[in-house]
Amino acid sequence: MSKEKDGVMIGLECHVQLNTETKLFCGCRTQAEEPNSACCPVCLGHPGSKPVLNAKALDYALKVAAALHCEINKEFFFSRKTYFYPDMSKNFQITQYEIPIGLEGQVVLSTGKKIRITRVHLEEDPAALVHEAGMAASNFCLVDYNRSGIPLVEIVTEPDLSSPQEARDFLDQLTTILSYLKVYSATTGTLKADCNVSVYGNSRVEVKNVTGKKGVEKALSFEVARQKNLLLNDKKIVRGTRAFDEKTMTTKATRTKETEDDYGYIVESDLTTIHFSKEEIKKMRENLPELHAAKAKRFIKDFSLDEYTANVLANNFTLGNLFEEIAKETEPKMAAKFLTRELMAVVNRSDLDLDSLQLNPEEISSLLRILSSQRITEKVAKEAIIAYLTKGTKPMQFIEKGGLAKDLTEADIEKAVEKVLSENRQAVADLKRGKQKSLNFLVGKVMKLTRAKVEPRIVQDLIYKKIKGG
Amino acid sequence: MAKPLSLKQFVAEVKKGNISIVEHTEKILAEAEQSNQTYRYFNLIARDSALKQAKEIEAGIKTGRHKGKLLGVPISVKDCICVKGIESRAGSHILSGYTPLFSATAIEKAKAEGAITIGKTAQDEFGFGTFCNNVGIGFARPLNPRDRKRCCGGSSGGSAGFAALSKLTHTSIGQSTGGSIACPASFCGVVGLTPTYGLVSRYGLIDYANSLDKIGSLGKTVEDAALLLEVISGYDVNDSTSLSEEMDELGSVNPSNDLRVGIVKELFKGCDKPVQKECRKAIDKLEKEGATVEEISLPLNAKFGIAAYYLVSTAEASTNLAKFCGMRYGLHERLEGNFNEYFTKVRSKGFGEEAKRRILLGTFARMAGFRDAYYLKAMKVRTKLIKEFKQAFANIDVLLNPTMPIVAPTFREIEKLSPMQQYAMDLCTVPANLAGLPHASVPIGIHEKMPVGLMITADHLQERKMVQAALAVEGLR
Repeated sequence: MSKEKDGVMIGLECHVQLNTETKLFCGCRTQAEEPNSACCPVCLGHPGSKPVLNAKALDYALKVAAALHCEINKEFFFSRKTYFYPDMSKNFQITQYEIPIGLEGQVVLSTGKKIRITRVHLEEDPAALVHEAGMAASNFCLVDYNRSGIPLVEIVTEPDLSSPQEARDFLDQLTTILSYLKVYSATTGTLKADCNVSVYGNSRVEVKNVTGKKGVEKALSFEVARQKNLLLNDKKIVRGTRAFDEKTMTTKATRTKETEDDYGYIVESDLTTIHFSKEEIKKMRENLPELHAAKAKRFIKDFSLDEYTANVLANNFTLGNLFEEIAKETEPKMAAKFLTRELMAVVNRSDLDLDSLQLNPEEISSLLRILSSQRITEKVAKEAIIAYLTKGTKPMQFIEKGGLAKDLTEADIEKAVEKVLSENRQAVADLKRGKQKSLNFLVGKVMKLTRAKVEPRIVQDLIYKKIKGG
Repeated sequence: MAKPLSLKQFVAEVKKGNISIVEHTEKILAEAEQSNQTYRYFNLIARDSALKQAKEIEAGIKTGRHKGKLLGVPISVKDCICVKGIESRAGSHILSGYTPLFSATAIEKAKAEGAITIGKTAQDEFGFGTFCNNVGIGFARPLNPRDRKRCCGGSSGGSAGFAALSKLTHTSIGQSTGGSIACPASFCGVVGLTPTYGLVSRYGLIDYANSLDKIGSLGKTVEDAALLLEVISGYDVNDSTSLSEEMDELGSVNPSNDLRVGIVKELFKGCDKPVQKECRKAIDKLEKEGATVEEISLPLNAKFGIAAYYLVSTAEASTNLAKFCGMRYGLHERLEGNFNEYFTKVRSKGFGEEAKRRILLGTFARMAGFRDAYYLKAMKVRTKLIKEFKQAFANIDVLLNPTMPIVAPTFREIEKLSPMQQYAMDLCTVPANLAGLPHASVPIGIHEKMPVGLMITADHLQERKMVQAALAVEGLR
């Protein structure tokens, strides 16, 4: 890590749970509520049990390696990483050592900067240790073997990241790619990372086992600040491992080891070597789905979208798909604008999960069609989408039942305006004196009275006309 | 005393209704229990479950449900092979109380053909030994059926000892990593068959060294052992290293007298003179019967076999034994204090001396800094040794050499041997085991009133040739 003498150098070792239905080496389910309800002799490490590789997990890991532009090894095998720990059912982890699935790939950040990928390999998750009353307060610890044997793909980067924000960008790009490959689900799978940090070419510190993208960014922010602070005070940075405490948002030194970890890797001979031909690897690459960067480019070209909107749509797998469906039925630019602004605003504000909403593109298309034919106002369209996302009410029903189509005559609108003006004399007087706020207030009143069935612009013009005329 | 019925004869009589399975099972259980007081061939005798199984099969025969190649045949099973519901300890104190939730595939296959498991046989702890004297803490070492001052050989000592002693129809499932079927077969004077690596599923085998372990058979005759091997062979989805080949009719192979036989020069040279003499006599007879005999040289195997074997096997064993830490099964104490100290406490109490030695050796061989020089180099050597065998098999059908360099030693003699000297005793059996080649040990002579075994090695998956040759050798007696 010493090649760069200044600035911050960050390298990540990411562990991502793959969303296979069954575990890596046995037929147990990967999703289970009740502790220790999804385990068998294999994931409990019983004597006599043998691992059998889950072909789907292998396929997923190969897809990841290919999508990260790695060299895929034609021949690779599994190894035993041996160390004693209560979460390890066999006191060794089946992982990959000498020859992983993939080597030397890259991920492109949103800024265009390329981050080199050192390796991609497949391994098993250990069991989960549960400290019921928190790590410090518990005088005992429970082990949940439901997690034991869940497939993990480990993605190791070179120390090419130069800030916590870049690390976050990297993880965003990575998880987008993984969700495009349909190998990872943010709702059911966890992402953890060991974060290596050094500043100004000083000693490297590893912050172990940080959970989640936000966690990584925060742990790195603290750690970078801590190290810079030490240097400012002429103190030395001690090489070692630290743990991130999510409650205090700080990192703490864990027990320092006198020597490097020695896992005594040997070949896992209960599993066989996996072979692929050049042709098979080529085919794997060809069969990869279109990824977000390519999709964004296509959106720009096919639908004349601006770069920002295209990226927002493509970076979210579900949103991108939704857009493509809707764009077939409606004016694409308008659809893109509505989805990225109105729909995503609701998703973010109400903290919804777009994947689990399972929206029907037909419903949104219908809504957009009547909006563009000016049969409803934008305000009504917004309300309709809120109702659809938060309550599941179909937009057309929402409009019909509420009688929200633009069915007011000019006389109706004029009547409504006159009523509001006569009931709000003070506001009218203020507006006449040039107080713009009063205009908004009055328009709002009319909108409310007409249940937003009239465009605010028309109301505004009418108010001005009345005031000037009167 | 009349020889017991062969497995085939026994099954035929059972089908005719001339033998009661329940009665026969009672008899052999009584024999096992009685002999166990002196000879200690069993770590556990499964009286209740065996009788229950016998009664079920007998009732099944009457209603025509049971057919099976091993109908009512009692089998003993090496302790390291899991049998559902029966304590399986691999001869180790650390597995005290471990009752598997599933049976090994080999056991399921034998059971499906009507075999009855009568008990778990004595062995060196986890298979770590050549004499069956490295038994786990609290276990008794089995005594040679011909001379109680001598050992049975290891590590499948209990299987071989009982196969030799029993006066009833019986066969045994053993397991070999570096010679643990052939060696005790030779010392006890029975037939031991070790198949090609992967032919018999290892699912349910408590591992010693995964890349070397093979489940095989022991019996009074080649035919009996071959029939059992036929039954337990075949693909198993639960073992990724299992092969798709079947060994149909292996128990019905005829002897062949016109085989091309290779005598392994170096492996003869390392043996006691009288042992060499007995083996030479048998080979001369074989030649007279029509075999083509030529001398073959395996210099690399003779020179590096033992070193490569002990490095690979202990490295693998040291990881296999890591799981035994008193947390989930087997020996445990009150779980308290620092986990590292707790694991150390349980492991110190649970493992015998040789197990500890091999954990240390194996851990050392795979540690950073030594890994390249020992573990990885041994793996590379292993590839070369296999190549040497493959070249030898280009022109010959089977290789012959003494199974063991000596006849069964007395326990006093063993005590004088250093661990290195003990390991050196595996000179002849280790090469074929390291290469995963099928091999047989067949008794061919007597020295000092103790049996001498001839080892027959065939190329990968040439079990038929191995049995053809073994039958021919057996026919010389």
